[in-house]
Amino acid sequence: MADVRSRLEQVVAEFADLDGREKLEMLVDYAAGLPPLPAAYEARKAAAEGRIHECQTPVFMWMESTLDGAASLVADVAPEAPTVKGFVAILAGAVAGRPAAEVADIPDDLIERLGLADVLGILRTRGLRAITARVKRGFGG
Amino acid sequence: MPEYAHPDVLVSTEWVAEHLTDPNVRIVESDEDRALYVQGHVPGAVEIDWQTDLQDPVQRDYIDREAFERLCADRGISDDTTVVFYGDKNNWWACYAFWVFKLYGHENCRIMNGGRKRWELDGRPWSTERVSYPRANYRAKEQDPAVRALRDEVLKHQKAGKQLLDVRSPEEYRGERMHMPDYPNEGAVRGGHIPGAVNVPWPMNCNDDGTFKTAKELEKLYIKELKMKRRSPTIAYCRIGERSSLTWFVLKYLLGFGNVRNYDGSWLEWGNCVRVPIAKGGEPGGSEAHLAAGPQVAAESTAVEAAEGRPEDAGTPTAGG
Repeated sequence: MADVRSRLEQVVAEFADLDGREKLEMLVDYAAGLPPLPAAYEARKAAAEGRIHECQTPVFMWMESTLDGAASLVADVAPEAPTVKGFVAILAGAVAGRPAAEVADIPDDLIERLGLADVLGILRTRGLRAITARVKRGFGG
Repeated sequence: MPEYAHPDVLVSTEWVAEHLTDPNVRIVESDEDRALYVQGHVPGAVEIDWQTDLQDPVQRDYIDREAFERLCADRGISDDTTVVFYGDKNNWWACYAFWVFKLYGHENCRIMNGGRKRWELDGRPWSTERVSYPRANYRAKEQDPAVRALRDEVLKHQKAGKQLLDVRSPEEYRGERMHMPDYPNEGAVRGGHIPGAVNVPWPMNCNDDGTFKTAKELEKLYIKELKMKRRSPTIAYCRIGERSSLTWFVLKYLLGFGNVRNYDGSWLEWGNCVRVPIAKGGEPGGSEAHLAAGPQVAAESTAVEAAEGRPEDAGTPTAGG
């Protein structure tokens, strides 16, 4: 099973030759693939637990690890924020089932590597950077 | 029942649906989240992004006249095209784009009342088609100083005690928060408001479905309760000038204020300026409000904090505000 680093390298390669519009389309595709929030988390979401306050639209994330140390990023992002939702889906896919220690390998400049900085502009990328930092911190990275 | 002062600037989703292929009409989407347009837009609509299209990439300003002409030509917009703006979040960014088009003197601008939300609620179709139009000819006018207020003009306006509107959240206005709720710390080293400014948070202009409140409701708020005068010069501001472009639109076109400008530098400029007056708390405060602390003290402490860099103030919002 590929590790976090190589999974993300694969995503970066996927984005590499796309123009701005195609990159946004790719994010929309990823957003559609984010699994719905498990029912067990609905009450926690209702209590505003897991809310990422750096993001303007409601974003909820829980960084979970199983007993054997496998990471799972459980998230819920409002449908009116497909950019954030797609980005969270990329991170969730990268860490799923991997040892939590590997989460530290998520590059801090992932947004630049994906070529999203120019497409989104500086103000929007700050929110995504905050999400990356939160995920890494949440898994002790 | 009072009518809007310029009802023609507002069009319904129905009007837009009937003009999707009208060659004299260009529909423009402006969003906080650009991927929304990609996910589905009004059929035939082009996108103009407030950040990557309308802002100069180097200095803090709008694109210059030539770049604006290129942008319009590229989107198939001519000088005489009727441009209809719509978007997410109660048409925030749509109003902002509308305002930039007015800055360059574009005559026929409209807002689709209710934006994306109303289009969705009305059950109208979304399109994912790539949209392009033949290149148009566009000649922009010089920037119109009647719609934009720069810092020194705001300072004069404030000293003269003229109408000032702060459209941010009450917490930002009082100086308890240096960012809007959910947009932490977007880089102002001082909190509070411009002395004399009254606080009317921008959502008070809108209904839950994203449409604007009625003329009667808006008149009650601005004219009856706040005693604002339509003939009096007015300046609106927020943090980066986009929420206040919505209020600017409301005052100018829906209520018929004769002289209203948007201060796009807004709190992100004012709250970082040395020796400009600031009032804290829930009261507007007069021009004397800042003198208690003394301008010299304020200037020095601002410089110290800036030098320290305060990483927690670096800012982490998703978008502007």
